[in-house]
Amino acid sequence: MKILVVDDDRVNSTLLNRLLGRDGHTVISAFDGQEGIKKFEQERPDLVLMDVRMPRLDGYDAARRIKAVSSDRFVPIIFLTAVTDEEGLARCIDAGGDDFLTKPFNRTILQAKIGAMGRIQQLDAVQRSQKAQLEEQKLQLERHQENVRQELEVGNHLFNGIVRAGSLLDAPCLNHWTSPMSMFNGDLLVASYNPAGGLIIMLGDFTGHGLSAAVGALPLAETFYDMTAQGFSIGELVEGVNAKLLKVMPRRMFCAACILEVDYRQQSLTVWNGGLPDVLIADAEGHLAGRIVSSHLPLGVIPMTREDQKVEILEMKADQRIFVYSDGLIEANGHDQEMFGSERLERIFNGSGAAGLFKSIRIDLETFRDGVEQTDDISLLEIVCDKAGEEPTGGKQTQERDPIPPSAWSASFRYSAETLRSVDPLPTVINVLMKLQAPSGHRERIYTILAELFSNALDHGLLGLDTQMKTTPEGFMRYYSQREERLAKLEDGYINLDLTHTPFGPEDNERHGQGGEIRIRMEDSGPGFNQFKIHSSLEGNMGHGGRGIALIRSLCAKLVYHGRSNIAEAIYHWTF
Amino acid sequence: MSGSITVNGGENETVISIKGRFNFEMHSQFRTAYQNETGSGANKKFVIDLTGTEYIDSSALGMLLLLREEAGANESDIEIINARPEIRKILETANFQRLFKIV
Repeated sequence: MKILVVDDDRVNSTLLNRLLGRDGHTVISAFDGQEGIKKFEQERPDLVLMDVRMPRLDGYDAARRIKAVSSDRFVPIIFLTAVTDEEGLARCIDAGGDDFLTKPFNRTILQAKIGAMGRIQQLDAVQRSQKAQLEEQKLQLERHQENVRQELEVGNHLFNGIVRAGSLLDAPCLNHWTSPMSMFNGDLLVASYNPAGGLIIMLGDFTGHGLSAAVGALPLAETFYDMTAQGFSIGELVEGVNAKLLKVMPRRMFCAACILEVDYRQQSLTVWNGGLPDVLIADAEGHLAGRIVSSHLPLGVIPMTREDQKVEILEMKADQRIFVYSDGLIEANGHDQEMFGSERLERIFNGSGAAGLFKSIRIDLETFRDGVEQTDDISLLEIVCDKAGEEPTGGKQTQERDPIPPSAWSASFRYSAETLRSVDPLPTVINVLMKLQAPSGHRERIYTILAELFSNALDHGLLGLDTQMKTTPEGFMRYYSQREERLAKLEDGYINLDLTHTPFGPEDNERHGQGGEIRIRMEDSGPGFNQFKIHSSLEGNMGHGGRGIALIRSLCAKLVYHGRSNIAEAIYHWTF
Repeated sequence: MSGSITVNGGENETVISIKGRFNFEMHSQFRTAYQNETGSGANKKFVIDLTGTEYIDSSALGMLLLLREEAGANESDIEIINARPEIRKILETANFQRLFKIV
């Protein structure tokens, strides 16, 4: 040990020097308080023996200064004192002394005290280094946590930006509630209008929860918006999303999903359910009026066949409400690991009104959970059918490019029976039209005209279906199942579609403003149909189907039939 | 608390029994259980015994898909046995009867 002896008494100093030196210690001597502090700083001794009364600076003050400059380590100070009164000893402790040694010195006591201080010093050193390590680790952990938190925040922001961009969850007919269990939601809820004005809604539930579940939402949302904007059908959307997820997601991940199309014009509800719990339909009284069970594998499991793209088409009644939810809702835990369960959920549909159901489900669930920790993301969506025709407050945010100056062009499409069996040609046609002319704000109307003319040509012209069938709910269902059957068997026939665009002449420009005329000619190889019979007014017959031609007339400048009424020609005027 | 897995590897058939909660915490356990078996030879039969399984989550369904993939995808022969009704309902909602024999 390196020991500093501070004592103005030379005899004492020499004595200590000899005693300590014999025990193998290195001794440094100082002869007053001032010198003691200087030597302490120069030599950094392990222990100090300090006399009390000294010239220049006494032992109390010297001890205080030494303690003040050595706070980073434990340096014991033992006072050498002749006094034994309590007050004198208390002053020593006060000044920072750790022990005292009364004169004259006893060698054994001196050795014992130095030995004890040495052991305390060692313990202190170990403790200090452990504490320093802990503090370093704590600091690292805090830094790491902060990094993770910041990264998550940035991720969450981007995630929401991409996933929610252009989503129409604020459509008046939708009520939704989600309760993610962490910052990232493994449930995905998106909604968007297709060009014909149908509202497409998807609820997806990815394997697991949190960030790893949420990453799949990005490619899914992107594909969803892209394909709905182009007007692809639910079946094609399912196929496209499935293919995308198969490509990008690890094999153990998949997405249980339900995709719905609410078509207010056709008063129809198209549903594809792959792996989500039963979609529940409530009537006006709030009773359970129907359910759509999952009849497909979830998305992202295996490549899809035609059979996997099959949808259910239901007639939508104005007073109905549709409920879609993730399994997190029915598997929510209450106390004792009990689950909320589908029976408890369905008991809420007890006939006390449909309007309160959404709220009742939430309240009952919260009461049941009673603060028990959530183990999965929970989502609940309600579709209020009688509001399906209302536009969202922000309007339908379709993104369109600047219109291209009107020019003369034409395009023709020929569809064989084989093509018609396997693809919906409309998205391609509307895209061509928008790319060539981009008549801003007219896309939906043009799409609607095309879609109505096309479905007339296909359904009535080639498949020979009767619109009258749709006047009863049973017939409505039969119509769509027959359509599917006949289309699958379609061997002969064709549909020709010609689009001709003519810019307005100077006169028209003066009358309507700058724009052009789009002539749509739809010809089918069928026997022709009685257009007067299926022509009905928009205001009447709002119940079921059969409004096609009246709708086209209301949108077009002119609609005429040629040939054996197998050729429809619609003229549409657009302006900037 | 998650569950536990026991593996009973036979000549032509491997039985994997899962007790307790079959959820994401079982991922590495389950993987180890079948990896020792899928490596040795192709087209072995797997039996997943859910007798003691209390709960199954979507991560567990994902693990079953992974096993199916490693056991030869469409050529795989995987049987899921003794699932209690609630678990059977979960498997059927996901339409897993198309990928596995659920008995």
